[in-house]
Amino acid sequence: MIGYVVEVVQAALVLLLAPGLVGLVRAMKARLQNRRGAPVWQPYWELWKLFQKEVVISSNASWLFRAAPFVVFASTAAASFLVPVLAVPLPFDAVGDLLVVVYLLLLGTFFLSLAGLDPGSPFGGMGASREMTIAALAEPTLALAIFALALSAGSTNLGQIVARTMTDPASALSPGHLLAFIALFIVTLAETGRLPVDNPATHLELTMIHEAMVLEYSGRYLALIEWAAAVKLLIFFSLLGNLFVPVGVALALTPGTLALAVLSLLVKFVVLAGALALLETRIAKLRLFRVPELLSVSFVLALLAVTSSFLLK
Amino acid sequence: MPTLFSQLAVLGSSLALIFGLILLWRRSLTAYVTAFAWQSLVLSVLMVIVAYFGRDPELYVVAAAFFVMKVVVIPRLLTRMQRRFSAEREIEPYVNTATSLVVAGLLVLFGYAITRPLVAVSQLPTRAGMPLAMGLVLVSLFVIISRKKALTQVVGFLMLENGLTLLAVLGTYGIPLIVELGVFLDVLMGFLVMQIFIYQIHETFESIDVEQLNRLRH
Repeated sequence: MIGYVVEVVQAALVLLLAPGLVGLVRAMKARLQNRRGAPVWQPYWELWKLFQKEVVISSNASWLFRAAPFVVFASTAAASFLVPVLAVPLPFDAVGDLLVVVYLLLLGTFFLSLAGLDPGSPFGGMGASREMTIAALAEPTLALAIFALALSAGSTNLGQIVARTMTDPASALSPGHLLAFIALFIVTLAETGRLPVDNPATHLELTMIHEAMVLEYSGRYLALIEWAAAVKLLIFFSLLGNLFVPVGVALALTPGTLALAVLSLLVKFVVLAGALALLETRIAKLRLFRVPELLSVSFVLALLAVTSSFLLK
Repeated sequence: MPTLFSQLAVLGSSLALIFGLILLWRRSLTAYVTAFAWQSLVLSVLMVIVAYFGRDPELYVVAAAFFVMKVVVIPRLLTRMQRRFSAEREIEPYVNTATSLVVAGLLVLFGYAITRPLVAVSQLPTRAGMPLAMGLVLVSLFVIISRKKALTQVVGFLMLENGLTLLAVLGTYGIPLIVELGVFLDVLMGFLVMQIFIYQIHETFESIDVEQLNRLRH
Protein backbone atom coordinates (compact mmCIF):
# COMPACT_ATOMS: atom_id res chain seq x y z
CA MET A 1 0.00 0.00 0.00
CA ILE A 2 2.71 2.43 1.05
CA GLY A 3 4.41 1.59 -2.25
CA TYR A 4 1.48 3.03 -4.21
CA VAL A 5 1.48 6.17 -2.07
CA VAL A 6 5.19 6.67 -2.74
CA GLU A 7 4.55 6.05 -6.43
CA VAL A 8 1.88 8.76 -6.60
CA VAL A 9 4.02 11.16 -4.57
CA GLN A 10 6.92 10.48 -6.91
CA ALA A 11 4.86 11.21 -10.03
CA ALA A 12 3.47 14.39 -8.45
CA LEU A 13 7.00 15.44 -7.51
CA VAL A 14 8.19 14.86 -11.08
CA LEU A 15 5.37 17.00 -12.49
CA LEU A 16 5.92 19.77 -9.95
CA LEU A 17 9.71 19.88 -10.13
CA ALA A 18 9.96 19.75 -13.93
CA PRO A 19 9.37 23.46 -14.71
CA GLY A 20 11.73 24.36 -11.88
CA LEU A 21 14.44 22.19 -13.44
CA VAL A 22 14.06 24.01 -16.77
CA GLY A 23 14.24 27.30 -14.86
CA LEU A 24 17.36 26.13 -13.05
CA VAL A 25 19.13 25.28 -16.32
CA ARG A 26 18.14 28.67 -17.76
CA ALA A 27 19.29 30.53 -14.63
CA MET A 28 22.64 28.71 -14.57
CA LYS A 29 23.14 29.39 -18.26
CA ALA A 30 22.38 33.06 -17.75
CA ARG A 31 24.91 33.22 -14.91
CA LEU A 32 27.57 31.59 -17.07
CA GLN A 33 26.90 34.14 -19.80
CA ASN A 34 27.23 37.04 -17.34
CA ARG A 35 23.53 37.80 -17.48
CA ARG A 36 21.33 38.03 -14.44
CA GLY A 37 18.61 35.95 -16.07
CA ALA A 38 15.06 35.18 -14.98
CA PRO A 39 14.48 33.63 -11.55
CA VAL A 40 14.40 29.85 -11.27
CA TRP A 41 10.61 29.79 -10.83
CA GLN A 42 9.95 31.80 -14.01
CA PRO A 43 8.70 28.71 -15.96
CA TYR A 44 5.93 28.25 -13.35
CA TRP A 45 4.66 31.78 -14.05
CA GLU A 46 4.88 31.13 -17.78
CA LEU A 47 2.80 27.97 -17.47
CA TRP A 48 0.31 29.78 -15.23
CA LYS A 49 -0.01 32.59 -17.74
CA LEU A 50 -0.45 30.19 -20.65
CA PHE A 51 -3.21 28.31 -18.82
CA GLN A 52 -5.12 31.62 -18.48
CA LYS A 53 -4.79 32.61 -22.11
CA GLU A 54 -7.37 31.89 -24.77
CA VAL A 55 -6.71 29.19 -27.36
CA VAL A 56 -6.47 30.11 -31.03
CA ILE A 57 -6.67 27.24 -33.46
CA SER A 58 -6.19 27.28 -37.20
CA SER A 59 -9.40 26.60 -39.14
CA ASN A 60 -7.53 23.88 -41.04
CA ALA A 61 -6.75 21.92 -37.89
CA SER A 62 -8.51 18.63 -37.20
CA TRP A 63 -9.35 16.84 -33.94
CA LEU A 64 -5.81 15.50 -33.94
CA PHE A 65 -4.46 18.96 -33.25
CA ARG A 66 -6.65 19.25 -30.12
CA ALA A 67 -5.95 15.72 -28.93
CA ALA A 68 -2.17 15.77 -29.36
CA PRO A 69 -1.28 17.96 -26.34
CA PHE A 70 -3.21 15.63 -24.06
CA VAL A 71 -1.59 12.54 -25.53
CA VAL A 72 1.86 14.15 -25.23
CA PHE A 73 1.29 15.18 -21.64
CA ALA A 74 -0.39 11.93 -20.59
CA SER A 75 2.26 9.67 -22.13
CA THR A 76 5.08 11.67 -20.55
CA ALA A 77 3.33 11.73 -17.17
CA ALA A 78 2.73 7.96 -17.43
CA ALA A 79 6.43 7.42 -18.09
CA SER A 80 7.20 9.28 -14.88
CA PHE A 81 5.51 6.46 -12.93
CA LEU A 82 7.89 3.89 -14.38
CA VAL A 83 11.20 5.70 -13.99
CA PRO A 84 13.11 5.13 -10.75
CA VAL A 85 13.13 8.61 -9.26
CA LEU A 86 13.00 8.20 -5.49
CA ALA A 87 12.78 4.58 -4.47
CA VAL A 88 13.14 1.04 -5.81
CA PRO A 89 11.47 -1.40 -6.13
CA LEU A 90 8.04 0.13 -6.60
CA PRO A 91 4.75 -1.65 -7.40
CA PHE A 92 4.54 -0.08 -10.87
CA ASP A 93 7.78 -1.79 -11.86
CA ALA A 94 5.60 -4.77 -12.65
CA VAL A 95 3.61 -2.71 -15.16
CA GLY A 96 6.39 -1.74 -17.49
CA ASP A 97 10.12 -1.94 -18.04
CA LEU A 98 12.53 0.24 -19.98
CA LEU A 99 10.93 -0.60 -23.34
CA VAL A 100 7.62 0.79 -22.13
CA VAL A 101 9.34 3.99 -21.00
CA VAL A 102 11.13 4.36 -24.34
CA TYR A 103 7.93 3.85 -26.32
CA LEU A 104 5.81 6.07 -24.08
CA LEU A 105 8.28 8.87 -24.76
CA LEU A 106 8.25 8.02 -28.47
CA LEU A 107 4.43 8.10 -28.48
CA GLY A 108 4.56 11.71 -27.31
CA THR A 109 7.13 12.60 -29.97
CA PHE A 110 5.02 10.89 -32.65
CA PHE A 111 1.83 12.75 -31.76
CA LEU A 112 3.67 16.03 -31.51
CA SER A 113 4.99 15.52 -35.06
CA LEU A 114 1.51 14.64 -36.30
CA ALA A 115 0.19 17.80 -34.66
CA GLY A 116 2.95 19.76 -36.35
CA LEU A 117 1.84 18.43 -39.74
CA ASP A 118 -1.89 18.80 -39.10
CA PRO A 119 -2.56 22.55 -39.56
CA GLY A 120 -0.60 22.48 -42.82
CA SER A 121 1.80 25.27 -41.91
CA PRO A 122 5.17 24.89 -43.64
CA PHE A 123 7.12 25.38 -40.39
CA GLY A 124 5.18 22.63 -38.66
CA GLY A 125 5.97 20.20 -41.46
CA MET A 126 9.62 21.17 -41.42
CA GLY A 127 9.86 20.73 -37.67
CA ALA A 128 8.02 17.40 -37.81
CA SER A 129 10.32 15.99 -40.47
CA ARG A 130 13.42 17.08 -38.54
CA GLU A 131 12.07 15.72 -35.27
CA MET A 132 11.37 12.36 -36.91
CA THR A 133 14.88 12.22 -38.39
CA ILE A 134 16.34 12.76 -34.95
CA ALA A 135 13.90 10.49 -33.12
CA ALA A 136 14.54 7.62 -35.54
CA LEU A 137 18.23 7.76 -34.61
CA ALA A 138 17.90 8.66 -30.94
CA GLU A 139 15.31 6.11 -29.80
CA PRO A 140 17.30 2.96 -30.68
CA THR A 141 20.35 4.51 -29.02
CA LEU A 142 18.34 5.22 -25.89
CA ALA A 143 17.09 1.65 -25.72
CA LEU A 144 20.55 0.24 -26.50
CA ALA A 145 22.28 2.38 -23.87
CA ILE A 146 19.90 1.18 -21.16
CA PHE A 147 20.19 -2.39 -22.50
CA ALA A 148 23.90 -2.23 -21.66
CA LEU A 149 22.90 -1.74 -18.04
CA ALA A 150 20.10 -4.28 -18.31
CA LEU A 151 22.57 -6.91 -19.49
CA SER A 152 24.79 -6.58 -16.45
CA ALA A 153 21.74 -6.46 -14.16
CA GLY A 154 20.04 -9.40 -15.90
CA SER A 155 16.71 -7.60 -16.17
CA THR A 156 15.15 -4.90 -18.34
CA ASN A 157 13.26 -3.64 -15.32
CA LEU A 158 14.53 -0.17 -14.45
CA GLY A 159 13.97 -0.66 -10.73
CA GLN A 160 15.94 -3.87 -10.71
CA ILE A 161 18.80 -2.30 -12.70
CA VAL A 162 19.09 0.41 -10.04
CA ALA A 163 18.91 -2.12 -7.20
CA ARG A 164 21.57 -4.25 -8.87
CA THR A 165 23.96 -1.34 -9.38
CA MET A 166 23.48 -0.38 -5.73
CA THR A 167 24.53 -3.81 -4.50
CA ASP A 168 27.68 -3.58 -6.63
CA PRO A 169 28.74 0.09 -6.76
CA ALA A 170 32.07 -0.73 -8.46
CA SER A 171 30.19 -1.82 -11.60
CA ALA A 172 29.30 1.85 -12.17
CA LEU A 173 32.94 2.25 -13.32
CA SER A 174 32.82 -0.56 -15.88
CA PRO A 175 33.32 0.39 -19.54
CA GLY A 176 29.75 -0.64 -20.30
CA HIS A 177 28.40 1.90 -17.84
CA LEU A 178 30.81 4.61 -18.90
CA LEU A 179 30.12 4.27 -22.63
CA ALA A 180 26.38 3.95 -22.01
CA PHE A 181 26.43 7.12 -19.89
CA ILE A 182 28.04 9.16 -22.67
CA ALA A 183 25.62 7.69 -25.21
CA LEU A 184 22.62 8.43 -23.02
CA PHE A 185 23.84 11.98 -22.37
CA ILE A 186 24.01 12.67 -26.13
CA VAL A 187 20.54 11.16 -26.55
CA THR A 188 19.27 13.37 -23.73
CA LEU A 189 20.52 16.44 -25.61
CA ALA A 190 18.83 15.27 -28.81
CA GLU A 191 15.54 14.13 -27.29
CA THR A 192 14.96 17.14 -25.10
CA GLY A 193 15.89 19.61 -27.81
CA ARG A 194 19.00 21.09 -26.23
CA LEU A 195 22.15 22.43 -27.91
CA PRO A 196 23.94 21.26 -30.07
CA VAL A 197 20.92 19.59 -31.69
CA ASP A 198 18.20 22.18 -31.16
CA ASN A 199 18.30 25.53 -29.44
CA PRO A 200 15.60 25.80 -26.76
CA ALA A 201 16.01 29.56 -26.47
CA THR A 202 15.26 30.64 -30.01
CA HIS A 203 12.39 31.04 -32.40
CA LEU A 204 14.74 31.57 -35.32
CA GLU A 205 12.73 29.74 -37.91
CA LEU A 206 15.53 28.21 -39.96
CA THR A 207 17.14 26.24 -37.16
CA MET A 208 14.29 25.31 -34.85
CA ILE A 209 12.94 21.81 -34.42
CA HIS A 210 10.76 21.59 -31.33
CA GLU A 211 9.65 25.22 -31.59
CA ALA A 212 8.69 24.73 -35.23
CA MET A 213 6.33 21.88 -34.38
CA VAL A 214 4.55 23.75 -31.61
CA LEU A 215 4.42 27.07 -33.45
CA GLU A 216 0.66 26.80 -34.06
CA TYR A 217 -0.16 26.09 -30.44
CA SER A 218 -1.34 28.64 -27.94
CA GLY A 219 -2.93 28.93 -24.53
CA ARG A 220 -3.43 25.83 -22.39
CA TYR A 221 -2.44 23.48 -25.22
CA LEU A 222 0.96 25.14 -25.46
CA ALA A 223 1.22 25.04 -21.66
CA LEU A 224 0.64 21.28 -21.66
CA ILE A 225 3.25 20.74 -24.35
CA GLU A 226 5.83 22.91 -22.64
CA TRP A 227 5.14 21.21 -19.34
CA ALA A 228 5.49 17.77 -20.97
CA ALA A 229 8.81 18.85 -22.50
CA ALA A 230 10.04 19.88 -19.04
CA VAL A 231 8.89 16.55 -17.57
CA LYS A 232 10.75 14.76 -20.33
CA LEU A 233 13.96 16.60 -19.43
CA LEU A 234 13.46 15.62 -15.80
CA ILE A 235 12.84 11.98 -16.73
CA PHE A 236 16.06 11.87 -18.71
CA PHE A 237 17.95 13.53 -15.86
CA SER A 238 16.58 10.94 -13.43
CA LEU A 239 17.63 8.13 -15.77
CA LEU A 240 21.13 9.60 -16.06
CA GLY A 241 21.40 10.25 -12.34
CA ASN A 242 19.78 7.17 -10.88
CA LEU A 243 20.72 4.44 -13.35
CA PHE A 244 24.39 5.29 -13.43
CA VAL A 245 25.02 6.80 -9.99
CA PRO A 246 22.30 5.24 -7.83
CA VAL A 247 23.59 6.88 -4.66
CA GLY A 248 20.81 7.83 -2.28
CA VAL A 249 17.94 6.00 -4.00
CA ALA A 250 15.74 4.58 -1.24
CA LEU A 251 15.71 0.79 -1.04
CA ALA A 252 13.31 0.75 1.91
CA LEU A 253 10.24 2.94 2.18
CA THR A 254 10.91 4.76 5.42
CA PRO A 255 10.65 8.54 5.90
CA GLY A 256 14.39 8.85 6.55
CA THR A 257 15.55 7.08 3.39
CA LEU A 258 12.93 8.88 1.30
CA ALA A 259 14.07 12.27 2.58
CA LEU A 260 17.64 11.28 1.74
CA ALA A 261 16.47 10.17 -1.72
CA VAL A 262 14.81 13.55 -2.38
CA LEU A 263 17.92 15.35 -1.21
CA SER A 264 20.31 13.28 -3.34
CA LEU A 265 17.96 13.65 -6.32
CA LEU A 266 18.08 17.43 -5.99
CA VAL A 267 21.87 17.35 -5.75
CA LYS A 268 22.07 15.21 -8.89
CA PHE A 269 19.72 17.57 -10.73
CA VAL A 270 21.82 20.58 -9.78
CA VAL A 271 25.00 18.82 -10.97
CA LEU A 272 23.44 17.67 -14.26
CA ALA A 273 21.80 21.07 -14.85
CA GLY A 274 25.18 22.69 -14.27
CA ALA A 275 26.82 20.30 -16.75
CA LEU A 276 24.11 21.01 -19.31
CA ALA A 277 24.35 24.78 -18.82
CA LEU A 278 28.14 24.65 -19.12
CA LEU A 279 27.93 22.52 -22.28
CA GLU A 280 25.31 24.79 -23.85
CA THR A 281 27.45 27.83 -23.13
CA ARG A 282 30.60 26.25 -24.52
CA ILE A 283 29.37 24.81 -27.81
CA ALA A 284 27.56 26.13 -30.84
CA LYS A 285 24.62 24.51 -32.56
CA LEU A 286 25.53 21.83 -35.08
CA ARG A 287 24.49 22.05 -38.68
CA LEU A 288 21.40 19.92 -39.12
CA PHE A 289 23.23 17.57 -41.47
CA ARG A 290 25.86 16.89 -38.84
CA VAL A 291 23.27 15.88 -36.24
CA PRO A 292 22.93 12.32 -37.62
CA GLU A 293 26.73 12.02 -37.28
CA LEU A 294 26.55 13.06 -33.62
CA LEU A 295 23.78 10.52 -33.07
CA SER A 296 25.76 7.82 -34.82
CA VAL A 297 28.61 8.58 -32.39
CA SER A 298 26.24 7.92 -29.54
CA PHE A 299 24.83 4.85 -31.27
CA VAL A 300 28.30 3.36 -31.68
CA LEU A 301 29.12 4.15 -28.05
CA ALA A 302 25.90 2.44 -26.96
CA LEU A 303 26.68 -0.55 -29.18
CA LEU A 304 30.15 -0.84 -27.65
CA ALA A 305 28.61 -0.51 -24.20
CA VAL A 306 26.27 -3.43 -24.90
CA THR A 307 29.12 -5.52 -26.31
CA SER A 308 31.43 -4.92 -23.41
CA SER A 309 28.75 -5.62 -20.81
CA PHE A 310 27.83 -8.76 -22.73
CA LEU A 311 31.40 -10.02 -23.07
CA LEU A 312 32.60 -9.03 -19.61
CA LYS A 313 29.60 -10.45 -17.78
CA MET B 1 34.15 -10.44 -8.51
CA PRO B 2 36.02 -7.65 -10.29
CA THR B 3 38.58 -5.88 -8.13
CA LEU B 4 39.26 -2.16 -8.08
CA PHE B 5 42.44 -2.74 -10.06
CA SER B 6 40.72 -4.49 -12.94
CA GLN B 7 37.92 -1.90 -12.92
CA LEU B 8 40.47 0.92 -13.20
CA ALA B 9 42.35 -0.92 -15.96
CA VAL B 10 39.16 -1.34 -18.00
CA LEU B 11 38.07 2.22 -17.30
CA GLY B 12 41.42 3.56 -18.49
CA SER B 13 41.34 1.47 -21.66
CA SER B 14 37.81 2.53 -22.52
CA LEU B 15 38.73 6.19 -22.02
CA ALA B 16 41.72 5.68 -24.33
CA LEU B 17 39.41 4.14 -26.93
CA ILE B 18 36.94 7.03 -26.66
CA PHE B 19 39.73 9.53 -27.30
CA GLY B 20 40.64 7.40 -30.32
CA LEU B 21 37.08 7.67 -31.65
CA ILE B 22 37.28 11.48 -31.50
CA LEU B 23 39.58 11.26 -34.54
CA LEU B 24 36.69 9.90 -36.56
CA TRP B 25 34.12 12.42 -35.41
CA ARG B 26 35.84 15.80 -35.17
CA ARG B 27 37.21 17.64 -38.18
CA SER B 28 39.61 20.23 -36.85
CA LEU B 29 43.23 19.22 -36.52
CA THR B 30 43.43 21.04 -33.16
CA ALA B 31 40.91 18.60 -31.71
CA TYR B 32 43.05 15.66 -32.88
CA VAL B 33 46.13 16.96 -31.10
CA THR B 34 44.14 17.60 -27.92
CA ALA B 35 42.58 14.13 -28.10
CA PHE B 36 46.02 12.57 -28.51
CA ALA B 37 47.42 14.47 -25.52
CA TRP B 38 44.49 13.45 -23.32
CA GLN B 39 44.74 9.85 -24.44
CA SER B 40 48.44 9.80 -23.59
CA LEU B 41 47.70 11.33 -20.20
CA VAL B 42 45.16 8.57 -19.50
CA LEU B 43 47.73 5.96 -20.52
CA SER B 44 50.47 7.34 -18.29
CA VAL B 45 48.05 7.41 -15.34
CA LEU B 46 47.08 3.84 -16.19
CA MET B 47 50.77 2.87 -16.20
CA VAL B 48 51.18 4.32 -12.72
CA ILE B 49 48.11 2.35 -11.59
CA VAL B 50 49.51 -0.87 -13.06
CA ALA B 51 52.92 -0.15 -11.50
CA TYR B 52 51.29 0.38 -8.12
CA PHE B 53 48.99 -2.65 -8.11
CA GLY B 54 51.34 -4.91 -10.03
CA ARG B 55 54.30 -3.91 -7.81
CA ASP B 56 56.56 -3.21 -10.78
CA PRO B 57 58.75 -0.17 -9.94
CA GLU B 58 60.26 -0.10 -13.45
CA LEU B 59 56.88 0.92 -14.84
CA TYR B 60 57.00 4.19 -12.90
CA VAL B 61 60.08 5.16 -14.94
CA VAL B 62 58.33 4.13 -18.14
CA ALA B 63 55.24 6.11 -17.14
CA ALA B 64 57.36 9.21 -16.46
CA ALA B 65 59.19 8.88 -19.80
CA PHE B 66 55.88 8.26 -21.55
CA PHE B 67 54.37 11.35 -19.92
CA VAL B 68 57.24 13.60 -20.92
CA MET B 69 57.29 12.36 -24.50
CA LYS B 70 53.65 11.82 -25.35
CA VAL B 71 51.91 14.42 -23.21
CA VAL B 72 54.46 17.23 -23.36
CA VAL B 73 56.91 16.96 -26.27
CA ILE B 74 54.98 15.41 -29.15
CA PRO B 75 51.72 17.38 -28.62
CA ARG B 76 53.79 20.55 -28.54
CA LEU B 77 55.50 19.67 -31.84
CA LEU B 78 52.12 18.69 -33.29
CA THR B 79 50.59 21.98 -32.21
CA ARG B 80 53.40 23.90 -33.83
CA MET B 81 52.87 21.95 -37.03
CA GLN B 82 49.11 22.35 -36.85
CA ARG B 83 49.38 26.13 -36.39
CA ARG B 84 51.26 26.34 -39.63
CA PHE B 85 48.51 24.48 -41.48
CA SER B 86 45.68 25.97 -39.43
CA ALA B 87 43.47 26.47 -42.45
CA GLU B 88 43.48 22.78 -43.22
CA ARG B 89 40.60 20.66 -41.99
CA GLU B 90 39.63 17.04 -42.53
CA ILE B 91 36.67 17.95 -44.72
CA GLU B 92 36.16 15.08 -47.11
CA PRO B 93 37.74 11.87 -45.81
CA TYR B 94 37.63 8.77 -48.01
CA VAL B 95 34.97 7.31 -45.72
CA ASN B 96 32.32 9.68 -44.35
CA THR B 97 31.88 10.25 -40.63
CA ALA B 98 28.76 8.18 -40.00
CA THR B 99 30.11 5.16 -41.89
CA SER B 100 33.51 5.54 -40.21
CA LEU B 101 31.88 5.33 -36.80
CA VAL B 102 29.95 2.21 -37.69
CA VAL B 103 33.13 0.68 -39.11
CA ALA B 104 34.93 1.63 -35.88
CA GLY B 105 32.22 -0.12 -33.88
CA LEU B 106 32.65 -3.26 -35.99
CA LEU B 107 36.44 -3.05 -35.62
CA VAL B 108 36.14 -2.96 -31.85
CA LEU B 109 33.88 -6.01 -32.01
CA PHE B 110 36.52 -7.66 -34.19
CA GLY B 111 39.09 -6.68 -31.55
CA TYR B 112 36.99 -8.53 -28.98
CA ALA B 113 36.85 -11.56 -31.24
CA ILE B 114 40.58 -11.80 -31.92
CA THR B 115 41.69 -11.19 -28.34
CA ARG B 116 39.34 -13.86 -27.02
CA PRO B 117 42.00 -16.62 -26.79
CA LEU B 118 44.42 -14.12 -25.20
CA VAL B 119 41.91 -13.09 -22.57
CA ALA B 120 41.02 -16.75 -21.98
CA VAL B 121 44.58 -17.85 -21.11
CA SER B 122 45.59 -14.69 -19.25
CA GLN B 123 45.30 -14.70 -15.47
CA LEU B 124 46.11 -11.02 -15.02
CA PRO B 125 43.46 -8.78 -13.48
CA THR B 126 44.02 -6.34 -16.35
CA ARG B 127 42.99 -8.81 -19.07
CA ALA B 128 39.51 -7.31 -19.56
CA GLY B 129 41.05 -4.18 -21.05
CA MET B 130 42.96 -6.02 -23.76
CA PRO B 131 40.09 -6.18 -26.30
CA LEU B 132 39.68 -2.41 -25.97
CA ALA B 133 43.41 -1.88 -26.56
CA MET B 134 43.20 -4.09 -29.65
CA GLY B 135 40.13 -2.09 -30.72
CA LEU B 136 42.17 1.11 -30.39
CA VAL B 137 44.94 -0.38 -32.55
CA LEU B 138 42.44 -1.32 -35.27
CA VAL B 139 40.59 1.99 -35.12
CA SER B 140 43.87 3.91 -35.43
CA LEU B 141 44.85 1.81 -38.44
CA PHE B 142 41.48 2.64 -39.95
CA VAL B 143 42.11 6.35 -39.32
CA ILE B 144 45.42 6.09 -41.17
CA ILE B 145 43.86 4.54 -44.27
CA SER B 146 40.63 6.53 -44.38
CA ARG B 147 41.83 10.10 -43.79
CA LYS B 148 43.46 12.39 -46.31
CA LYS B 149 45.40 14.94 -44.32
CA ALA B 150 48.96 13.95 -43.51
CA LEU B 151 48.68 15.36 -40.00
CA THR B 152 45.63 13.21 -39.23
CA GLN B 153 47.53 10.18 -40.41
CA VAL B 154 50.44 11.05 -38.14
CA VAL B 155 48.10 11.37 -35.15
CA GLY B 156 46.57 8.05 -36.21
CA PHE B 157 50.03 6.49 -36.22
CA LEU B 158 50.81 7.88 -32.77
CA MET B 159 47.50 6.54 -31.44
CA LEU B 160 48.31 3.18 -32.97
CA GLU B 161 51.54 3.21 -31.01
CA ASN B 162 49.57 4.20 -27.89
CA GLY B 163 47.30 1.23 -28.49
CA LEU B 164 50.27 -1.14 -28.72
CA THR B 165 51.76 0.28 -25.52
CA LEU B 166 48.41 -0.14 -23.81
CA LEU B 167 48.23 -3.75 -25.02
CA ALA B 168 51.75 -4.40 -23.68
CA VAL B 169 51.00 -2.81 -20.32
CA LEU B 170 47.74 -4.69 -19.88
CA GLY B 171 48.93 -7.99 -21.27
CA THR B 172 52.35 -8.30 -19.62
CA TYR B 173 52.63 -5.37 -17.18
CA GLY B 174 54.99 -3.75 -19.66
CA ILE B 175 57.99 -5.07 -21.53
CA PRO B 176 61.50 -4.60 -20.04
CA LEU B 177 62.54 -1.01 -19.51
CA ILE B 178 65.34 -1.08 -22.06
CA VAL B 179 63.03 -2.33 -24.82
CA GLU B 180 60.41 0.24 -23.85
CA LEU B 181 62.93 3.07 -24.08
CA GLY B 182 64.09 1.75 -27.45
CA VAL B 183 60.50 1.83 -28.70
CA PHE B 184 60.06 5.38 -27.43
CA LEU B 185 63.15 6.48 -29.30
CA ASP B 186 61.90 4.75 -32.44
CA VAL B 187 58.57 6.50 -32.21
CA LEU B 188 60.22 9.86 -31.69
CA MET B 189 62.51 9.29 -34.68
CA GLY B 190 59.57 8.09 -36.78
CA PHE B 191 57.61 11.13 -35.76
CA LEU B 192 60.45 13.50 -36.65
CA VAL B 193 60.89 11.85 -40.04
CA MET B 194 57.15 12.16 -40.69
CA GLN B 195 57.29 15.79 -39.64
CA ILE B 196 59.95 16.46 -42.25
CA PHE B 197 57.84 14.62 -44.81
CA ILE B 198 54.81 16.73 -43.99
CA TYR B 199 56.77 19.95 -44.38
CA GLN B 200 58.08 18.68 -47.71
CA ILE B 201 54.58 17.73 -48.88
CA HIS B 202 53.34 21.14 -47.87
CA GLU B 203 56.24 22.83 -49.64
CA THR B 204 55.55 20.97 -52.88
CA PHE B 205 51.75 21.05 -53.00
CA GLU B 206 50.84 23.96 -50.70
CA SER B 207 48.58 21.53 -48.87
CA ILE B 208 48.94 18.52 -46.61
CA ASP B 209 46.32 16.55 -48.46
CA VAL B 210 48.03 13.26 -49.33
CA GLU B 211 45.72 12.75 -52.28
CA GLN B 212 47.91 15.28 -54.07
CA LEU B 213 50.67 12.68 -54.05
CA ASN B 214 48.76 10.78 -56.75
CA ARG B 215 49.86 13.46 -59.19
CA LEU B 216 53.42 12.20 -58.85
CA ARG B 217 52.59 9.20 -61.03
CA HIS B 218 52.47 11.28 -64.19
